[in-house]
Amino acid sequence: MIQVDNITKRYGEQPAVNRLSFQVADGEILGLIGPNGAGKTTTIRILCGVVKPDAGKVRVAGYDPGEQGDEVRSGIGVLTETAALYPNFSGIENLRFFAELYGVDDPGRPDELIEEFGLGEHKNRKAGTYSTGMKKRLGLAKALLHKPSILLLDEPTSGLDPAGIAMVLEEIERLNTERGVTVVLCSHVLHQLETVCRRYVIIDRGQVLAQGTVRELAKSHPGPCVVEVDTDYDLDGDVYCGVPATRLSTGHTRFILSSRDEVPRLIRELSQNASVYSVVLKGEDLQSVYFRLTEGTQDE
Amino acid sequence: MNRRAVIAITRKDIRSITANIQVWLPMVMIPIFFSVLLPIIVVFAARASKGDIVSDMQIILDMLEKLPESSLKRIMGSLRTDQQRIVYIMFNYLMSPFFLIIPVMIASTVSIDSFVGEKERGTLEGLLLAPVNMLSIFAAKVLAAFLPAIGVSLVSFVLFAICANVSAWPLFGRVFFPHINWAPLVLLVMPAVSLFAILINVFISTRVSTFQAGYQLGGILVLPLVAVMIGQFTGFMLLDTGILFAVGVILMIIDYALLRIIVKRLDRAWLFESQVR
Repeated sequence: MIQVDNITKRYGEQPAVNRLSFQVADGEILGLIGPNGAGKTTTIRILCGVVKPDAGKVRVAGYDPGEQGDEVRSGIGVLTETAALYPNFSGIENLRFFAELYGVDDPGRPDELIEEFGLGEHKNRKAGTYSTGMKKRLGLAKALLHKPSILLLDEPTSGLDPAGIAMVLEEIERLNTERGVTVVLCSHVLHQLETVCRRYVIIDRGQVLAQGTVRELAKSHPGPCVVEVDTDYDLDGDVYCGVPATRLSTGHTRFILSSRDEVPRLIRELSQNASVYSVVLKGEDLQSVYFRLTEGTQDE
Repeated sequence: MNRRAVIAITRKDIRSITANIQVWLPMVMIPIFFSVLLPIIVVFAARASKGDIVSDMQIILDMLEKLPESSLKRIMGSLRTDQQRIVYIMFNYLMSPFFLIIPVMIASTVSIDSFVGEKERGTLEGLLLAPVNMLSIFAAKVLAAFLPAIGVSLVSFVLFAICANVSAWPLFGRVFFPHINWAPLVLLVMPAVSLFAILINVFISTRVSTFQAGYQLGGILVLPLVAVMIGQFTGFMLLDTGILFAVGVILMIIDYALLRIIVKRLDRAWLFESQVR
């Protein structure tokens, strides 16, 4: 379990993290999201015990990262934005080196991971010649060397191609379901997070703006509910049954409702007059909620 | 101390040196010049010059007459010709600073790179995020500079001894190098002076933002101190072996005190916050 209690960290006068509090339960996948400079990376570094908070308490798997850093680092796998690999060493040499640092006793573990992450063919090439995506995959393999119970992943899919993204997200899901690994995931690509994260902490300027599941966040921060319907109804005008509507293309109409509770009534009425092939709720996804929450704060 | 991690980091750092010809070639070429070419040139010059070199070095010969009683003075008295005395004193006394300069030179280049090099290559973050305590990381960085410095210096010393004895064989007809006073120099003083330079340079490496800045700062802070040590010890070479051993032990004690002070000031969070972007 990870417990962050009222932590503050300043760099000079500027607070990078300001009275931040959240928890991550064992076996949970948490999305830590926010704009650039929100304090996500500082938070990850505090959890790893390489940055000390000026105030507040942190516990990771029962240890205080500031005082028992090596105990914390033994149990967590970290993927940083740069992956921090040795450019003049080959992929497999990098993994073997870090396996020694993390006290991995299985000599086959580096080879096993490099194959698993699709780098087997390139394992003897210098890591400095790897593409961004390959470096990211090698970084992930490095984070998993010692079979950690907690994974802290900072932008794990940045630089990856669609197949790489799918592979990484599947791997995170698999580790979580099969081994109960707790994951904290920082990313800007919100729709990717939605496929794996159960809960989110949205931070900005070092403070928590909101936390909860997408449903909880949407409920506590309601906005217009946008519904896109694939139907053969021929919209005439810009209102349908008192609901503002826009024809996007032939057979494709957008309705703007004041809340999701109005969706069933709208669809019932529409199906009486025409065929309805699909309904997509747009205003209640993570991205919409996130933009509602951070609206204005980024411009200030 | 995490021994496994110490070995891994040391091995990794030494491999970084040996994998780059631009780094290791100067480290090997300069010692080869000192240990192979220089003795041959010196003996050749001494034998070819006949009386000229003797008159040029008369001041040194006169000074040796005034030396306090020591094994070196007794040996000098037993030599038959001035040529023998000059070659003997050149090899056994005047060239001793080379074997302090060689390890300090290698040690300084490697040790300055220890932390700031990791920072410049973007790998310091990965190292500090590993479950390895700072003492182990520091020890590995010190070892990675110490082992090549001492290794190259010892090989140089053996080559120097072979070249000196072979080239001067027609003059002495026996093995004349090294004098017993080289034992404390090689076994105690050389490692102690190297370690001194390494400790300060590694500490500097945790504080500077670039390798170049570290090299400059290391040059300003370490070289004058090491120059004083080398100068003082060269004088001690004329004294008895026991005194030389005592000097070596004192230098080791200074290193130990320095090590304790530096280890107390090692702080992972400070290093991370100041050196990682």
